[in-house]
Amino acid sequence: MSNRPQLVSNLLILFLVAISCVGTLRAEESKVVDAETLLKRSDSFRNGWPSYVLKVKITNYESDKSDEEKLYTVSQKGTDRTYVEFMSPRDKGRHLLMLGDDMWIYLPDTSRPIRITPLERLSGDASNGDVARTNYAVDYSPVYLRTEKQGSEQCFVLELKARRKGATYQRILYWLRVEDARPVRAEFFLTSGKHIKTATFDDYAPSAGKMLLRRLTLYDEIRHNSHSVLEYSGATPRDLPDKLFYQGRADRF
Amino acid sequence: MNRKSIFAILFLLVSSSYALPQDPPPPESSLQTRYSIAVIDDATFYSDLSVPSPTVLNQVLLEPSLSVRYRNRWTFSSSLIGIATTYDDTSTQLNVKETYAGLSAGDFDFMAGRKIVRWGTGYAFTAAGVLDPPRDPTNPSDRLNVNEGRDMLKADWVRGHHALTFAWSTAALAPANSEQHDTTAFRYNVLVRGFDTSLIAGNDRGQDTFGGITFTRVLGQAWELHGEAMWREQAAVLVGAKYTTSSGVTFIGEFYAPPNTPYYRDPSVSPPAGRQNYAFFYAGKNRLRELPGWKEWDVSASVVTNLNDHSAVPVVDISRWFGKHFSSYMHMEIPIGGSTSDYGSAPYATATSVGVRFQL
Repeated sequence: MSNRPQLVSNLLILFLVAISCVGTLRAEESKVVDAETLLKRSDSFRNGWPSYVLKVKITNYESDKSDEEKLYTVSQKGTDRTYVEFMSPRDKGRHLLMLGDDMWIYLPDTSRPIRITPLERLSGDASNGDVARTNYAVDYSPVYLRTEKQGSEQCFVLELKARRKGATYQRILYWLRVEDARPVRAEFFLTSGKHIKTATFDDYAPSAGKMLLRRLTLYDEIRHNSHSVLEYSGATPRDLPDKLFYQGRADRF
Repeated sequence: MNRKSIFAILFLLVSSSYALPQDPPPPESSLQTRYSIAVIDDATFYSDLSVPSPTVLNQVLLEPSLSVRYRNRWTFSSSLIGIATTYDDTSTQLNVKETYAGLSAGDFDFMAGRKIVRWGTGYAFTAAGVLDPPRDPTNPSDRLNVNEGRDMLKADWVRGHHALTFAWSTAALAPANSEQHDTTAFRYNVLVRGFDTSLIAGNDRGQDTFGGITFTRVLGQAWELHGEAMWREQAAVLVGAKYTTSSGVTFIGEFYAPPNTPYYRDPSVSPPAGRQNYAFFYAGKNRLRELPGWKEWDVSASVVTNLNDHSAVPVVDISRWFGKHFSSYMHMEIPIGGSTSDYGSAPYATATSVGVRFQL
């Protein structure tokens, strides 16, 4: 009977030591995983060069049946200047310009740039922001959460929080392959905390000497029978003139 | 050749044959073209006409446009409209909406020809759009694309967020009933802390000298503010805002106070009526719902009102896409107000346009 308090105190000490060890290990792991560097590396799978063009085809599916197809030509310079030309017959003549958090759309029937709000970016299954904004390291501040298996891939899980209110999403959970920081999966959240989309990064292929994302699927988390497939092709470095990214330019080709 | 070398060569051959397929980088073409063709059949039905006119106006519009760019430097663009109108009788006409040539050299862009320019930031009205086509608040998006540009020489200098524009427009080729004059105008545009701001100054030959400012600014996730102020003999002011809900419904409101001067006066307003104040309110949603069968629908309703004589025009627009190339629409205007008022003086109770559009 007299040994009982001794046993309890020994167990308590052991428990405290175990907790501190786990805490130290987690802290060590966080130190090893540099979330900022990882995020920058992951961006390189979607943005191969400082200045480039690529084509994006978006196919929207309803109940696994294709019901809409859209084509875009995307020109990007630096980390925050994107110019999107809409190539589908229904949207012909439309252009979208994104400079940092500011976005304009050029409609052929108004012949002038129309300022659009971040919420207008979110229309459609794949939003304007999904097409035009792919440098997450610029828009989001990352924190390492854990390492876990996603399918067959061992992944780092990062939590990205918008650096500014103007970002397309306010929070992203991001799974990056441990081996090379290649994006594997992402979950997107609004300011309200609502989980609105999930992305799976399905296919990568070499393009003009770089390993780049070739196919991304966006699942609508509000209407679960809807998803969009974004197919990227023709990525190539190109020296784009600054004039292309000037918001007041109405002389769009 | 020893065994190791043979294995190395075999390994290289095998690994290269299993390499992932590559997208060859597409060469940048020196000649790029864009074209589009739209054909619209539009019928407008007037009810309770107060003048002896036919109750149906039918229009068939053919709108081809072509743009060619050579070596990212030279541009030629042309957009025409052929209109066959059946009303009292049938008439046809060909209008040149835009036809211009452009040269891009370093930080400069030069352009000569007829071009639609819009410097005003207003949706339904404009105070500062000195070269803009006239805005029609009951049809601000120019649904039949019949607006024509001004004949002009224009030079732009663009560097970073700054741009300077010089434009000289001649009224020599303008229609005889047009109020256009030769216009010389300068614009400085800059983006600072989210404010897209322009300063505009110029002169209409033999008429007024003018100067003004326009701006747009996005606030938070859902709000956009815009405004225009122009001094041309007297001050004209426009302020507006746009709000987008999380479900994608867009609201636009504008207040416009133009002076009652020949340049700004609406033809239905008498000169002694003094300064008129207008308000515009719009609510609309593209892709009515993100569901099959609903995505093809765009619906909007708006009202424009003269706050002085309390006349107004509610407008309803509904359109639907059928596949990639066809759409149909309905546009309805219901003028309200006294027979001598700004909007109530329209000689009909309702004007309902229905049409089909083919677009390539």
